[in-house]
Amino acid sequence: MKFSFNWLRDLTEELNVPPQELGRLITMKTAECDGVEPYGAHLARVCAARVLSVEPLGAGRNVKVVLDTGRYGIKTVVCGAPNCRTGLISAYVPPGTRLGEREIGVTVIDGVPSEGMLASGAELGINRDATGILELEAEPGAPLPGCEPDHIFDVDNKAITHRPDLWGHHGLAREVAAITGARLRDPVRLERIPEGDAPVRVEIENLDLCLRYSALALENVTVRPSPLWLQYRLQAIGLNPINNIVDVTNYVMAELAQPMHAFDWDLLRGPAIFVRPARSGERLLALNETEYHLDGRDLVIADARGPIALAGVIGGLDTAIHEGTRRIVLESACFQASSVRKTSARHKLRTDASMRFEKAQDPVNTVRALARALELLGQVSPGIRVVGGLADARRPLPPAPRILLPVDWLCRKLGRTVEAGEVKRILERLCFAVEEDQPGTLRVTVPSWRATRDVSIKDDLVEEVGRMIGYDAITPQAPAVTIAPPPAGEERLYHRAVRATMVELGFTEVYNYSFVSEEQARRFGMDPEDHVRVANPIGTDRTLLRRSLLPEIFENIVENSKHFERFRIFEIGREIHKQPAGLPREIPHMMAAVYSRAGVEDGLMELKRAAEHLMEGCLLCPGPAQPYEHPARAAAVMWRGTAVGRLFELHPSLLEGRAAVLDLDLERMLELRRDEKRYRPIRRFPASAFDLSVIAGLRELAGNLSRQLAELGAPEVEAIEFLRQYSGPPLPEGKKSVSFRLTVAAPDRTLSSEEVGAVRARIIEGMRARGYEFRL
Amino acid sequence: MLETTLEQLRDRALERIRAARSVEELEAVRIEALGRKGTLAQASKELAKLPPEERARIGRLLNAVKQCLEETLEARRKEFEEEALRRRLDAEWLDLTLPAPEPRRGHLHPVTQVQAEIEDLFTSLGFAVLDGPEVETEYHNFDALNIPPDHPARDVQDTFWLTDGNLLRTHTSPVQIRGMERFKPPLRMIAPGRVFRNEEVDASHEHTFYQIEGMMVDREVSVAHLIYFMKLMVNAIFRREVAVRLRPGYFPFVEPGFELDMHCLLCNGAGCPACKQSGWVEMIGCGLVHPNVLRMSGIDPEQWMGFAFGLGLTRLVMMRYGIDDIRYLQSGDLRFLNQF
Repeated sequence: MKFSFNWLRDLTEELNVPPQELGRLITMKTAECDGVEPYGAHLARVCAARVLSVEPLGAGRNVKVVLDTGRYGIKTVVCGAPNCRTGLISAYVPPGTRLGEREIGVTVIDGVPSEGMLASGAELGINRDATGILELEAEPGAPLPGCEPDHIFDVDNKAITHRPDLWGHHGLAREVAAITGARLRDPVRLERIPEGDAPVRVEIENLDLCLRYSALALENVTVRPSPLWLQYRLQAIGLNPINNIVDVTNYVMAELAQPMHAFDWDLLRGPAIFVRPARSGERLLALNETEYHLDGRDLVIADARGPIALAGVIGGLDTAIHEGTRRIVLESACFQASSVRKTSARHKLRTDASMRFEKAQDPVNTVRALARALELLGQVSPGIRVVGGLADARRPLPPAPRILLPVDWLCRKLGRTVEAGEVKRILERLCFAVEEDQPGTLRVTVPSWRATRDVSIKDDLVEEVGRMIGYDAITPQAPAVTIAPPPAGEERLYHRAVRATMVELGFTEVYNYSFVSEEQARRFGMDPEDHVRVANPIGTDRTLLRRSLLPEIFENIVENSKHFERFRIFEIGREIHKQPAGLPREIPHMMAAVYSRAGVEDGLMELKRAAEHLMEGCLLCPGPAQPYEHPARAAAVMWRGTAVGRLFELHPSLLEGRAAVLDLDLERMLELRRDEKRYRPIRRFPASAFDLSVIAGLRELAGNLSRQLAELGAPEVEAIEFLRQYSGPPLPEGKKSVSFRLTVAAPDRTLSSEEVGAVRARIIEGMRARGYEFRL
Repeated sequence: MLETTLEQLRDRALERIRAARSVEELEAVRIEALGRKGTLAQASKELAKLPPEERARIGRLLNAVKQCLEETLEARRKEFEEEALRRRLDAEWLDLTLPAPEPRRGHLHPVTQVQAEIEDLFTSLGFAVLDGPEVETEYHNFDALNIPPDHPARDVQDTFWLTDGNLLRTHTSPVQIRGMERFKPPLRMIAPGRVFRNEEVDASHEHTFYQIEGMMVDREVSVAHLIYFMKLMVNAIFRREVAVRLRPGYFPFVEPGFELDMHCLLCNGAGCPACKQSGWVEMIGCGLVHPNVLRMSGIDPEQWMGFAFGLGLTRLVMMRYGIDDIRYLQSGDLRFLNQF
């Protein structure tokens, strides 16, 4: 929302704060002001000038013009405007003036030095008319009437979503007055509303949706461009000047935050205006020349024939003001905020009106706005007359809310002492009515424009007082609270430890999106229908929530393989699993990958080592592979008898080079993790060791052999260490020899060589019985 | 006679010790001279044949020769050993400028690193670190935070809705609600996490980013306490005294609500393009917990007060490391990540 400094000055008395400083104060005490920019600074130099003579130049449109500029003497300029003629009073821009980005100088055009220029309204930032130079009624040398240099405040819309009153200059002027001590001026003269019967009947079907609908009918209207001052005011805050009638409705909206609409009375059918839900199938051709298809969720303004406006959003084109309009109906209504917001959202149409209504406007304001509009219409459309009196359909206005405010409670909330007298002064400056209810408690009456949604409880008043005394005036203070260790965040600490381990082992952490595409899901064997689906995805590649980290890790591998020969990455992220009801299950996983473009094969073993770092005693159980896994290089990761993840190489058809992947379920690992270490006495009697080389089939798992040796060797075998494996001559084809070192011991004595020999013999015999041979 | 033989024997042995080229040659000399059947042993057999007075004198001489040879041998052997050690060590010359074998240490994501710092800070202040789901209910993300349906504040947060009616959390604030549901007051908590907004991605906007939420509920919690913690946090994050200011800000779940600005780190408050010439950058949204929020979570606002804050973790990370494009954070690009 843009605010004009000149406008704020009009609405206050004795405002002696320069614009930049006022911008800072507004930011610190009311709402964030993104910037304060000078507007129309050039207008201090621009003046009215009379065209004394016009002399054609060559074949083009340019003419040589001699001007009486008053202030700057007689000047010669070159002008190409079609309306440039002798006797015209226009706007003269002297050399040395900056117009936006460009500096006006003396330029030779068609052989004539042009000492400055005559300017259009668009060039001067007064309106958007660039078809010709301005036509004025003023004495040469005089400043352009009502067009003074200004400053524009850009207040962040987000910062005033809770303040319907700040969507107009008068609301901000009220704040400025409270902040600076200036006096607030009320531009509204309610006595201007004439008594009498309304010529137009208003019928509201649902008073919840339309809280109030006020209207006045006027005749003897002249539609023409607004005076310059009015155009300039609107243009300066980014509103487009259109014609005097529409401009007045916009001016009042920008001043009092009350959106208004003017209908051409002669184009309305029937004597009544209806405020009702749209009927299914009704349409409205709106002012923006778009046709809207309406249904019962949309509130419309209708005449006897059908919708003439989408309530609180936009007017209809068929009943709009046009050059020939002679009689008008001025609407000033208050619509329910959420209804306007829904309609505006449904039709994707945000207007200056809908933005204001959805903040919950003050129903008291409708008639004030009509009174203000009447005054302005009298200025811009001489001879205009009100027909009859006010039409005003409404439910009874709500009583002003009262809040009891204990001053000591307020001080506790702020953490600072504020005297009751000061609280009262601050609130009164903000137009709250304050009485002392009982000692130490104030009874605060909320003004109507703050009562619609913004201020309803005592906490809201803490903000009013706090911001006005200034938060800088509050000394930071450590709270007096019980000191206790916070509840342990076991999962978070565990994830931290996992991250630390992975980084130590050379892995770099990546973060990926929670979204995947259907194609990504299918590529990794998952049915898109098993995924949680985004209703309004940002793109077709982001429609599902990931059920596995793999699709995005795979993308990471492909992308990084363009820059690196070899790398290690990991991610800790959540898999999101659809549930029959309620929220999906979010399971934290750790996925790590080792990539080698040259196809170096140790990635799997590196990842196995990582798994062992994270889970002492975890086992790999090779088994059937998923389609995206290397069929001969895939295994389940088991820990303490539970499957906790997978270790595999990506199927070579998916990418260049080799990529090994470890996927671990951190939730399950956290459950299995236990810290129950207990000391066992160190064995006092020496152990013995012997080596065994088992001959087995080439694909016999070393882990299986080791497990069998352990079974057969129990209880004397204390440890089994893998030494090496070998295949080739003299071993038969299809066989390998796997060598282990077995350590045997007893807790209570040294085993004799006979006893050790017996254990060895038992193992060998047992293995032979299972079909294995030995290299002895 | 024997005396001369002994002296000759000694001189010859000494000569050979000097001439020895290796430990082995030295050993040969030792055996020949001092061995059980060595020359000195032979000579000592002659001793018995001598008259007693001669025998004592020659015996002393014999011992002196023996001792002389032993000492010389020992000294020479030491020389050989030292030489051998010197050679071995020299041969073990190693180029320590060669790179250590792979793998190098990896890198934690910058968001992880800054997040951990803030977690540690708040843990040390007695705050629990909590977590909440990324997929949230509309109730936890909006209603319980005093943002009813059709509240204009919902527009500000472009929400990813899911087809099951849930949504991707638009802020970490729902963890306030989950924290209050789980723990009874007094309560001190922070909640870092991933949040989502349906926004077009460019150098400064992401649909996926990170926030840290914080909350304290106790018997007496004031604006003065809030400012105390916010200053503490900002100074700890930037490891120096940073000027901050508090101004009104609107968040439906706090009342009063504030924006906390800090002095722009690039210009130190003088004004520069990064801070739009204001000298200040928005850092934290905060305020006293709205009584409706406490009430909805079953906490009596007449008995308890609280403050809450939300910090843009992603933004903080970008400021800390001077990252100019937010998209790198979720890119998985090692050219970027290896820098941290």
